[in-house]
This record gives sequence, C-alpha cells and structure tokens, in this order.
Amino acid sequence: MINLGEPIFILIVIMTVAGALTTVLSGSVIYALIGLVATMFGIAGLYVYLNAPFLAMMQILVYVGAITILIAFAIMLAGPFYKRPKEWTGIGKFSAALVVSVISFLTFFTIIMKVSWTEGKGAFNLLTKDIGRALFDRYAFPFELISLVIVVSIIGAIMLAMFSRGKND
Amino acid sequence: MTDGFLSNSLNIYLFVGLFLLCCGILGVLYRRTLIAMLISIELIMNGAGLNFVAFNRFVSPEGPEGMIFTLFVMGIAAAEAAIALAIIILIFRKYRSIESAEMEEMKD
Repeated sequence: MINLGEPIFILIVIMTVAGALTTVLSGSVIYALIGLVATMFGIAGLYVYLNAPFLAMMQILVYVGAITILIAFAIMLAGPFYKRPKEWTGIGKFSAALVVSVISFLTFFTIIMKVSWTEGKGAFNLLTKDIGRALFDRYAFPFELISLVIVVSIIGAIMLAMFSRGKND
Repeated sequence: MTDGFLSNSLNIYLFVGLFLLCCGILGVLYRRTLIAMLISIELIMNGAGLNFVAFNRFVSPEGPEGMIFTLFVMGIAAAEAAIALAIIILIFRKYRSIESAEMEEMKD
C-alpha cells in the first residue's frame, strides 16, 4: 500500500519554499503578498505534520485572515498600482544582499549539521486543552502582557490615522 | 507514523525555517518599498515559529512551551503589522512615496 503522507509532505515543503522565493524575488508587491499567502498555508500544513492542529488553524486565521488582508489594504491605499517603483534596482545592491543571505545560510547550515539534538522521551500528543491550561496557569502574565501590547498598538494606529488627517486637511 | 520518513526528522523542519530566515534577510536588504520589507519580516517570524514548534515536538515533547511561544509570536506579529502599516500610510500621505531610499529627511 502506498503511503500518501510522504508525497503530500514533500509537496507542502515545495509550496512553502516556492512561496518564499516568490515573496522575495517577484517584481511587484502584490505578487509578493500572494507568495506570502502560499508560504502561510505551507507552514500551516507543516504544523499539521508536527501534531499541532490548533496552531495550524491559528496560523490560517491570524496570518492569512488578518495580517495579509491588512497588508493588502495598505498596498491598495498607497497609491495607484501602475506607479509603483520597480523592485529590481541595481545588481550591486542585490548581490550584496545575496552574499549576506548566503553567508548566514551556510553558517546556520553548518551549525544544524554539527549539533545532534537529543530526542525527547515520550509521545507528543498535546491537546488544545493543555495549551489553554498552560496559558492560564504558568503563562498568565505574558498572556496579559500580549493583550496589553495589542490594545496599545490598536490605539496607536488610530492615533496615527487621526493625527495624519488633521495635519493634511 | 513509522520511523525513517522525511516528515519525522527534525532537520527538515529546521532547514525550512532556515530557508525562510534567509529569504527574509534577502528581502529586507534589497527591497525598495516599505511594504515589501514588512512582508519579508513576516517571513522571518514564520520561520521562527516553525522552529519553536519543531523543537517542541522533537526535543521536549512533555509540555506545550513551544506552541505557546508561537502563539505569542503571532500576537506580536499582528500588533507590529498594524503599527507598521499605519506608519507606512502616514509616510505615503506626507511624501507621496513608499520607497525607503527617499526618506532621508525624516529626521526633522
């Protein structure tokens, strides 16, 4: 019998990598956004393979549903589409960035290949109940701090919008 | 799941996370528009979250710490995207451009 899990996993990894490449290398911002959506869905699939289906659902809800829509609104608000500057500027800047990226890739690659991680004991079958219990038990204070940060960012965004409108008109 | 499969080893998840990190670094360094830089930062955050969950699954499968850190990273990313996009829209209204090279006079 053919196990279908492995080809689907390889497909998900390929989709994630291709989405990341599209995000970085495409000439237009809206195509970069579509590549970002593909990467988010691929990472949600990887979370499913890591036995974390709650995180996969939250990934799709928060990133694809909220952040991507926010970025799409910003792209549409920031001027007409055809007046966008081209992303490919100079070959010098691109090659310098590529050198930095490749050097960091090789560094971490050698670190990953050198270190042998100790495999943990026991099976990994944590439910959503365990996540909720830990959030309200041991991590209650960081949880409240995150909510405070989000409230402050919402108020800050509204204040920035009001300040800008008052100054322009 | 039986052993020996590709989806059952830690290294493949670490390599995907590393690839996302390097793509994000490349995008932040050479992109011209601010929104594309923000999208690249989102790539870096996703790679970090994937690494957290992979380490939680393979190295310490007793508690849900990695998944909780990934949830915190998601909250921080949402807050950061809201603030950054508000600032980008404000910059666009002031300078009529979202290129990072034309913002040399932001100091005053």
